Amino acid sequence: MFRYIVRRLVTMVPMMVVISILCFTVIKLQPGDFTTQFLTDPRITPEQVAQIRERLGLDQPPAIQYLTWVKGILTRGDFGYSFAYKRPVQELIWERMGWTVAVAGATIIFSWAVAIPIGIYSATHKYSFVDYLLTFIGFIGVSIPSFFLALVLMYLSLSLGGTAVGGLFSQQYIGAPWSWGRLLDLLRHLWIPIIAIGLSGTAGLIRLMRGSLLDVLGTQYITTAKGKGLSQRVVIYKHAVRNAINPLISVFGMQLPELISGTIIASIVLNLPTMGPFFYDALINSDQYLVMTFLMLSAFLMLIGNLLADILLALTDPRIRYE
Amino acid sequence: MRKLLLAVLLIFAMTLSVVASPAAISPALFEEIGTHGGELVLGLASTPRSFNFYGIIDNAAYTILYNIIEPLVEENPATGEIIPGLAESWEVDESGTEVTFHLRDVAWSDGTPFTADDVVFTMEHVVMNTHAEGNSADRFTLGGQPVLWQKIDAHTVKAILPSPYGAFTRVLTHALMVPKHKYEPFIAALNEGVEPGTINQAWTTDTPLSDIVGTGPFVLSEYVVDQKVTLKRNPNYWKVDPEGNRLPYLDQLVYLVVQDDQVMLAQFRSGEIHRITITGQNFPGLKREELDGSSFRVLTGSPVSPTPSPPHLAFNWDIEDEELREIFRNDKFRQAMEHTVDRHRIIEDVYNTLAIIPGVPVLPANTAFYNPAIEDIMREYDLEKAKRLLDEVGIKDRGDGVRVLPSGRPFELTLTTAVNVQPHNDIAVILENEWEELGITTHLQLISSTLVGQRRTAGEYEAIIEAFGNQPDPQLRKAIWQPGRALYYWHRSTMDENQEPILANMEDWELRVFDLFELGEVEMDPVQRKAYYDEWQEIYAERVPVIYIAKGMELQAVSNAIGNIFLQENGQIVGTNYTAFVK
Repeated sequence: MFRYIVRRLVTMVPMMVVISILCFTVIKLQPGDFTTQFLTDPRITPEQVAQIRERLGLDQPPAIQYLTWVKGILTRGDFGYSFAYKRPVQELIWERMGWTVAVAGATIIFSWAVAIPIGIYSATHKYSFVDYLLTFIGFIGVSIPSFFLALVLMYLSLSLGGTAVGGLFSQQYIGAPWSWGRLLDLLRHLWIPIIAIGLSGTAGLIRLMRGSLLDVLGTQYITTAKGKGLSQRVVIYKHAVRNAINPLISVFGMQLPELISGTIIASIVLNLPTMGPFFYDALINSDQYLVMTFLMLSAFLMLIGNLLADILLALTDPRIRYE
Repeated sequence: MRKLLLAVLLIFAMTLSVVASPAAISPALFEEIGTHGGELVLGLASTPRSFNFYGIIDNAAYTILYNIIEPLVEENPATGEIIPGLAESWEVDESGTEVTFHLRDVAWSDGTPFTADDVVFTMEHVVMNTHAEGNSADRFTLGGQPVLWQKIDAHTVKAILPSPYGAFTRVLTHALMVPKHKYEPFIAALNEGVEPGTINQAWTTDTPLSDIVGTGPFVLSEYVVDQKVTLKRNPNYWKVDPEGNRLPYLDQLVYLVVQDDQVMLAQFRSGEIHRITITGQNFPGLKREELDGSSFRVLTGSPVSPTPSPPHLAFNWDIEDEELREIFRNDKFRQAMEHTVDRHRIIEDVYNTLAIIPGVPVLPANTAFYNPAIEDIMREYDLEKAKRLLDEVGIKDRGDGVRVLPSGRPFELTLTTAVNVQPHNDIAVILENEWEELGITTHLQLISSTLVGQRRTAGEYEAIIEAFGNQPDPQLRKAIWQPGRALYYWHRSTMDENQEPILANMEDWELRVFDLFELGEVEMDPVQRKAYYDEWQEIYAERVPVIYIAKGMELQAVSNAIGNIFLQENGQIVGTNYTAFVK
């Protein structure tokens, strides 16, 4: 197992290199660069724009720009400089990490906590009215875009006299020290993003849990377990669910990058101080090193997530051995 | 100039006779005398990327910094006149090339006195520093020569202009003074081992807020990343209201970062935000709520400020296709096309009636420069006249309703505009219908505004709808409207690759416009300057290098809890953060 993990970690290095080259190529395929915005500003002459491009290194060939960036990471741990913010990118990303992970984490916990019990209930009460109802809600959850759901929820909240529209706090609590009032205010705001962003994931998980459990319930060993007189509870929770959960663990690994990237449009609509809108602005502005660092972080989390999922699978399923 | 000078001296004498400082400000800014206390909450469409006014092009940063740092001379927000700011008074010498500023005796918010050193430093090393990404060196360079700044004594500064410069005080209103004692370490010219680009790294968003000092009405007190910027009152601010009370009235000014305009509107409705700018689409709903007795008022102001930028229609005079090039350069063709623009319908349909017929492009409210003669020259919507003119140009109906070029090829036009700017989009669709009606096959190319900018710069378009903001003084827009300049994009061959004008490639009337801008730049007499710009407007109205379409009104909604934000008699919205108060 240990050797397996080391091997996986080592293969991540070439993988990250390939991903970074791909990302950089895609960024460079975008027409224009950071200085394009200056061309429409009458205060700045084209000579000055050329000067800025030279200073930012944008006049160099893309390959050189890429290698300079990689060199900075390897020699100084420097992920580059944000053209828009005039600050090192890792600082900027770090500043936004807290709320991003908090909101995404709460959303993921919500969707798992809701989806697994519902999925189990649906599967064990197959074709009942409640199953149909939950399945129906699940389909709605999958099909409604989260930004739209966010708008609807905000509209409902506003028309019912609520004042918690957008953001995580009321104005007076933004940046205030923690207190009961602030926590309460956060909860009053947080339910909208959690439902809006979490619902589609929840619905997907419900479908997955239900399908996977139904498969397992149809297998012979479950029939055997039932036949030897085990209680329904033991059959389902000890035998069926434990086996049915495997596909969900793989999904869990895939969710790790969502901690930081999440749903961009929903975050803009919900006015969340998270990485999504920040990343979106960086893309629009061609703030290339910020975009690169963000994409690399996302890719890294994806690889780590997959590794974690594989390790978890090995731990939960004795049939899986990596040697 | 003499008259203005006299007036300025008079104001100077009056302020001297009362107190040296603080100074009372224009009563036109007050609907009533306010009371101290409370906070005003405003929305900000994006997070500020820096607090360095000169290191960045970022409206969020500008919005915040205009509360913190100030220029030598200001524009009266109610009348647009130039009034004293950090300079209590100034004189221009006989030759019109030496301007002496007498500085107000004030201090930076950290207690350091504001002196002539700060002014000379700001102008030389920051405003005119071409390495600063938000510099204004171009506005202080005349005929390739920079304006020179000299300290006379601690409170007197002299500007030496290479030649007389009519818009000098106007451009100075945008040059906000920064503290030398905070900015100096970032200047390459004054420190060994500092890179020229380091100026852009001054006052970034991680700078301790106590280091960001100004002379303005507010100082920064808190910045929560991507969420909120809080400013508190500067207790030593020099302005007072007409009754002698210290300004600002407010204890706090809060900017909430809200990226989505629908959410911003929702927050305004819920009372979280006190004042917002709205669009024509939101106007009817909000107005109805106001009439139904809501706790806010909707203000419809006549347009004075640069935004919303008025759209115009232009044709590419340097297009590869020789036949089209000749047609686009033909005055009659563009005049025909002006007849196809139904400005009244556009104002009604696109802007919900909340727009006006624009000037060319000086706004009617800009009494200092607007030339009413253009109203008789601008062409009304009239498809019959358009057809006749097209016939004269040689673009004739071949019998089946399709207009063909003199070579016999069907006349097709591609109209490019920004898909993410709603009015431009809607206007493009209206124009497409009109042109199809004339027998011109029209293709819409709706692309992102960034791409539109690139197509425009590269000259890859046939017809285009674009927009540039208005400015009170035409001099400030010479980079756009003077032939041979960087943004005179429809006729780029008037400029060589070094950005120098090529007079030989200009039409006769373009040469005249070129001269008028050169003359207006160095003229100090306001009457003569107006005469030059009047002629420019008439030439533009007659020759239609571009066709101006409409200018949106200024629409705002304000909570009734906030005072001194109102419509003044001439229909303009007045209301500054330092005169606003909580009722």
